[in-house]
Amino acid sequence: MNKHYPALNERVQSRTLDNGLRICYIPKEGFGKTFAILATDYGSVDTSFTIDGTRYDTPAGVAHFLEHKMFEDKDGNALQKFAATGASPNAFTSQTMTAYHFSCTDRFMENLTILLQFVFTPYFTEENVAKERGIIGQEIGMMEDTPGWQAFTGLFEGLFRTHPVRVSIAGSVDSIAQITPNTLYACHRAFYSPRNMVLVVCGTADFDEVCHLAAQYSPQDAPAVGRRDYGTRRDTVNAPLVTRGMQVSQPQFLLGFKDAPRGADESRLRRQLTGELAVRILCGDTAPLYARLYEKRLIGRDFDTDYTLIPEGAAAILGGESRDPAAAREEIEREVAHLAREGVDKALFDRMKKALYGLHLRALDSPEGYARRQATAVFAGEDYPDFAAQLETVDPDDVQAMFARWAQGERSSMSVVTPRQQ
Amino acid sequence: MQQVTRTILSEGVGLTCVTTAKFKRAVLRAVLLLPLGGEDAALRAVLPQVLRRGTRTLPDLRAIGAALDEKYGARIESAVRKEGETLAVGFLSDCIDEACAPGADGLTASVIELLAALLYDPCLTDGAFRADYTAAEQQNLLDRIAAQKNDPRAYAPKRLTELMCADEVYGLSALGTAEQAEQITPQALYAAYRRALDEARIELFYCGTMQPEAVASLFAAALPARLAQAETYTPHTVVRARPAEAAREIVEEEPVGQGKLSLGFRTGGASLTGGDPVAYWLFQTVYGGSTSAKLFLNVREKKSLCYYASAQFMAHKGLLLVNSGIENKDFAVARDEILHQLALCRQGDITGEELAAARAALMTGWRAMLDDPLALERYWLAQAVAGTQISPEARIEQVRQVTQEAVVQAARDTTLDTVYFMKGAGK
Repeated sequence: MNKHYPALNERVQSRTLDNGLRICYIPKEGFGKTFAILATDYGSVDTSFTIDGTRYDTPAGVAHFLEHKMFEDKDGNALQKFAATGASPNAFTSQTMTAYHFSCTDRFMENLTILLQFVFTPYFTEENVAKERGIIGQEIGMMEDTPGWQAFTGLFEGLFRTHPVRVSIAGSVDSIAQITPNTLYACHRAFYSPRNMVLVVCGTADFDEVCHLAAQYSPQDAPAVGRRDYGTRRDTVNAPLVTRGMQVSQPQFLLGFKDAPRGADESRLRRQLTGELAVRILCGDTAPLYARLYEKRLIGRDFDTDYTLIPEGAAAILGGESRDPAAAREEIEREVAHLAREGVDKALFDRMKKALYGLHLRALDSPEGYARRQATAVFAGEDYPDFAAQLETVDPDDVQAMFARWAQGERSSMSVVTPRQQ
Repeated sequence: MQQVTRTILSEGVGLTCVTTAKFKRAVLRAVLLLPLGGEDAALRAVLPQVLRRGTRTLPDLRAIGAALDEKYGARIESAVRKEGETLAVGFLSDCIDEACAPGADGLTASVIELLAALLYDPCLTDGAFRADYTAAEQQNLLDRIAAQKNDPRAYAPKRLTELMCADEVYGLSALGTAEQAEQITPQALYAAYRRALDEARIELFYCGTMQPEAVASLFAAALPARLAQAETYTPHTVVRARPAEAAREIVEEEPVGQGKLSLGFRTGGASLTGGDPVAYWLFQTVYGGSTSAKLFLNVREKKSLCYYASAQFMAHKGLLLVNSGIENKDFAVARDEILHQLALCRQGDITGEELAAARAALMTGWRAMLDDPLALERYWLAQAVAGTQISPEARIEQVRQVTQEAVVQAARDTTLDTVYFMKGAGK
C-alpha cells in the first residue's frame, strides 16, 4: 500500500509479509541518514500471559532484560557487528514496546541484515544472563538515583492498583534475580512472533529490497502471540498521593489524571491528539493557567505535560519542580473542574490546535521520532501522518468530555519526590 | 554540500545561515557572546529568563504564549550556555518552515521580530526591569543553582570540571554563584543588561528554506543599529596543554546509592583552536566514544562494572572527561581499568578494526548532523565562538586522512589531571 499526504509532503509505503511482519517505508528526501526500527508490541506491562494453555507470571523487568540480552549471539555481540559499518545501534523498552534500531549513512542493507538476524535469534545461557544482571543492576541503581524517574514510577503506583504498569520498567535488583534463560526464551516465543512486530525504515532505501530481506531473515512461521492479562481494571486511582524522599533541593511532582481506556473501535491517534490538546489547554506552557502558576512560582520552565495510552488504561500527566506541589495541584484540579463544567473558549481551542498541528508537523523532521510514532500507530492499525486528518476532527466538545472524565472523583493521583532531611 | 553562508551584518553581529529545503522546521537563534564569569555572571544568567517574561508590546507570559500558538506553536526558549570560556545568553527558536503550511507566509519574519523584541525591547517600568519578574527569576536562578546536585550523573562531570579547573575561568559555572544571585536587583540587572549589549558580540543563526540575503535583511530590519560603544568582546579560551601539577584524587560523599566516577585529562593542546582536534576525536572514539570503544567493551561488557563508561572530548577547552556509574566498592578497580585502557592506546594497542570502526562512527555522526537542524545550530555556534568556519563535511574529509600514528600520539599527549569520585553514602 502506498499512502500519499500532499499537505504534509509525506509518503508511507506499507506491506505485510506472509508471516505477519508489517513493514513500512517512509522516504526522507535529502537526508543522508537512514533509520530503521524493529519493534515488538511487548513492553514492561506484559508480564502475565497465557500461551499454548500455560499461564506465565514473569518477573518485573523481563522485557527490558530481554532487550539487553538480544544483542548477544552465538558468534558475538551484534553491537560489534554494527560497529564495522559505522552504524549507530541502540534499543529501548517502554511500558508498551521493545524496539531495536540503528541509524547509518552507509551500507544500509548490511546493517538491516544484522538487525533482523539478532532480533529473531534468541541465544541465552546461564552465564550470559548472570553477567547481564550486573550491568542492569547498575542501570537500575542509576535510575533509582534519578528524581525524575522516581516521580514517574511513583505516579503509576498511585494511578493503578493492580495493573503491571505500576512496576518500574527495568524491575528491581530482586525481581531480575529471578530471570533465567527459560524465562527469556518463553517471552521471546510469546512476543517476538513476526505477527506481533513491525519494521519501519525512514530515510533512503529500496522498499522492495527491504521487504525481500525481511522475508529472508524473519521466521517463516509465526507462532501465536501470548494472550495478556492486566488484572482487574478500576476506574479510580489506587492512592491520591505517593511520596518519596531523595536528595533533591526542592520537591518534584507529577500529577496524573486517570482516563478511560481507549475503546475497541476508537482511533488511537485521535485519542492521543485529543489528550495532548486537552492537557495543553489545561496547563501547557502557553496556557493561561501556566502563566498564573508560573507567576506564583508554583511551577517553573521545566514544567511539562503529556498524555499516555497503555493497554486498558490512559492518563494525562503534568509536572515539574515546585516549591509547593499541593498548591499547584489544587489550582490545576480547580481548572479541570472549571473546564469540565464551562467548556473551552473557542479562540483558545483554535490557537492551541494550530500549535499542536505545528508541533506534530515538526516531529516529522526526526527520523527516530517519526519511525517510533509510526510503529506505535501501526500497532493500533493506523499510520502516523494521519494525525493531520484526525486532529482536524477534534472539536471543543471532545476536549470538554475528556475534562469531565478527569473531573470525576478519585481520578487524580500525585507523585512527589521531596527533599530528604539530612 | 549543505549551503552555509556567513554574513557580518554589522560590527560585532554575525549571522550563519544553513539553506536547505530538507526540513519542515526552521531553527533560529539570537545570542549575546560574553566572557564567562566575572561580577555580572549571575545577572547575565538571569537576564534571558527575565527578558522571556515579556516585551514592551507582549508584556507577560499570556501574551507571549498566545503569540507563539498563533505561529503554529513556535517555541522560543531562553539559553544560557557555556562555550569554552565564553558565555552565550539569549534565545533559541524553532518553528515550522513557512514553506510547509499554507497561510504561514511571513512567519519567519514574525519570529525574528519577536526574537529581536525579547532581546532589545523588554517590558520595563521606571527605566528598569519589573521588580516582580526580577525577584521571581532571581529565586528561580537560586533554585537552579541549588538543583545542580539533583541529577548525580550530570553533576559528577560538572563537579570534576570545577575542581580540575579551579584556577581557570572554565571552572566557573554559567549560572554564576549563589552569593551573586542573592544580590540581584531590577536596577542592577538593567545596568548589567546595558553593559552586556554594549560589550557582547551577537551571533545569529537560521536554518531553513529562506535565502540568506532575505534572512539577513529581516534580521537587519529587526535589530536596532548598534551605537558607538565599548570594544566588542572577542571569544577566547585558554587551553592548558598539561596539568599544572601531579594528578589529584578527590573523593566526596553524597547521599545517593550509586557511586559516580569521573576522570579529567588534559589533551596536550588538542582543541578547536589548536593541535590536531580531528586525530583527538578519533582517539576519543576508539577509547570511549561508542559501543565498540575500549571502555564500553572492557569496563562494561567484560568486567560488568557499570552501565555506562564513556569519554567526552571538550573540544573548546582541550579536556577529555571519562564518566562512569559504579558500585562504591569498585572505585579502585574501575579507575585502574579506565587508566589501563588508556595505557593500551598509548602503547599503540589499537587494531585496524577498532580504528576503522571509530572512523566510520565519527563520519556517520557528522553526516547525521546534517539531518538535524538543532544539532547544526550547536555546531555552528561552536564554530563561531572558536572563530573558525569548518563544516561537518570538511571534518569528514579530515578524519579520512588521520593516521594510526596520529591517534596513538593523541593518546600519548593525554595526561591525567584529576580523579573525582562521588561516593554514594546510601539513600
